[in-house]
Amino acid sequence: MTPQQPPMPPKFALPGVKHVLAVASGKGGVGKSTVAANLAMALHMYGQRVGLMDADIYGPSVPIMFGLGTVDQTKTPFPIVKQGLKLMSMGFLVEPSQAVIWRGPKVAQAVGTFLAQVDWGELDFLVIDLPPGTGDAQLTLSQQAPLTGAIVVTQPQDVSLIDARKGVSMFSEVKVPVLGIVENMSYFVGDDGKRYELFRAGGGRKLAAEIGVPLLAELPIDPRVAECGDTGEPIVSRYPDAPVSLAYIELGKTVVNTMLQQPAPKGLPEVQL
Amino acid sequence: MAVPSIPSPTALRREGDGLRIDWSDGVSTFVSWQTLRNNCPCATCNEERAKPPNPFQVLSAAEVAAGAPAPLAMRPVGHYAYQIAWNDRHDSGIYPIETLRKLGES
Ligand SMILES: Nc1ncnc2c1ncn2[C@@H]1O[C@H](COP(=O)(O)OP(=O)(O)O)[C@@H](O)[C@H]1O
Ligand SMILES: [Mg+2]
Ligand SMILES: [Zn+2]
Repeated sequence: MTPQQPPMPPKFALPGVKHVLAVASGKGGVGKSTVAANLAMALHMYGQRVGLMDADIYGPSVPIMFGLGTVDQTKTPFPIVKQGLKLMSMGFLVEPSQAVIWRGPKVAQAVGTFLAQVDWGELDFLVIDLPPGTGDAQLTLSQQAPLTGAIVVTQPQDVSLIDARKGVSMFSEVKVPVLGIVENMSYFVGDDGKRYELFRAGGGRKLAAEIGVPLLAELPIDPRVAECGDTGEPIVSRYPDAPVSLAYIELGKTVVNTMLQQPAPKGLPEVQL
Repeated sequence: MAVPSIPSPTALRREGDGLRIDWSDGVSTFVSWQTLRNNCPCATCNEERAKPPNPFQVLSAAEVAAGAPAPLAMRPVGHYAYQIAWNDRHDSGIYPIETLRKLGES
């Protein structure tokens, strides 16, 4: 019996990708994209095969962070390989100045295309830079992408428990394990090598404890992070000895170890009808 | 890990007029297609169920034409749910695996 199948929303399986990791934040500007890019680089430095997918189609930052711009779609095969990473971003297709004013469903559609039509090949990690926030668009993305883990980025002064909780509960809803919290711009390292706390020290740690997930990293503030972000090479590869880079490399190690411990989540079995 | 591990289905198959599921904790459940259709978790069906019952309700043409509910297709959505396309052309229901477990146990 072969009844004509009604249309169903596309299912995005990435059979060649071992771990699909979302990087999320309660709001914009906390350093989510920077964390996603440097984490991807750090994972690559551990010998992992890594892709970075920019799902923040309102504010794509992967092109700038990797020294790229829009490209001729008819001549460029995606993903674009740069510094050992496989990259995909709406910013390759649309000038950032052309305000992309799409709403939820269209975002999901665009990102669905990235998942379904971009040939990611064999990867150990696909890191996804989610749009900031925890609304419908983010929820849909978290459902469409076969996520195996998520990281929530926050800032100490942004320790709005509500925002981060929302992020964590969004992932719980769709059964994606939250690996932990990354606190960005928590402190700076002086010329004397000492650590100087900014804002409310320990906010990220407290937050992680309250939510019941690990604090994966506390990243110092360093003007070179922004400089590198604007000039096409993530700090972790340009200045690997900087304290913030060491923290990123440590984060990469933690992520690799955490994902190795997890039994590779098998997709749900097909139904025999 | 923030998400407690809940049993997951290891095998799903049609059995008579319903669905047999074997679970990772060794339990096996059965739920009829009728029960699954009645408990469609989509927004429209939720709304429909929230309304007071209408004693004069007649079956819609599609329902009559379709006869007893049966799935045309059922497939995994991410790691957490199955979507069922029914023979009455309704396919917006996404059944989380907890729902499948609960319906099978009741
Ligand atoms: N640890 C850091 N130290 C200094 N500047 C940083 C740091 N992390 C991020 N930035 C800068 O902050 C700005 C916002 O970061 P971005 O990653 O674009 O945030 P988001 O993606 O959350 O909106 C960027 O200019 C970035 O270079
Ligand atoms: Mg960003
Ligand atoms: Zn329904």
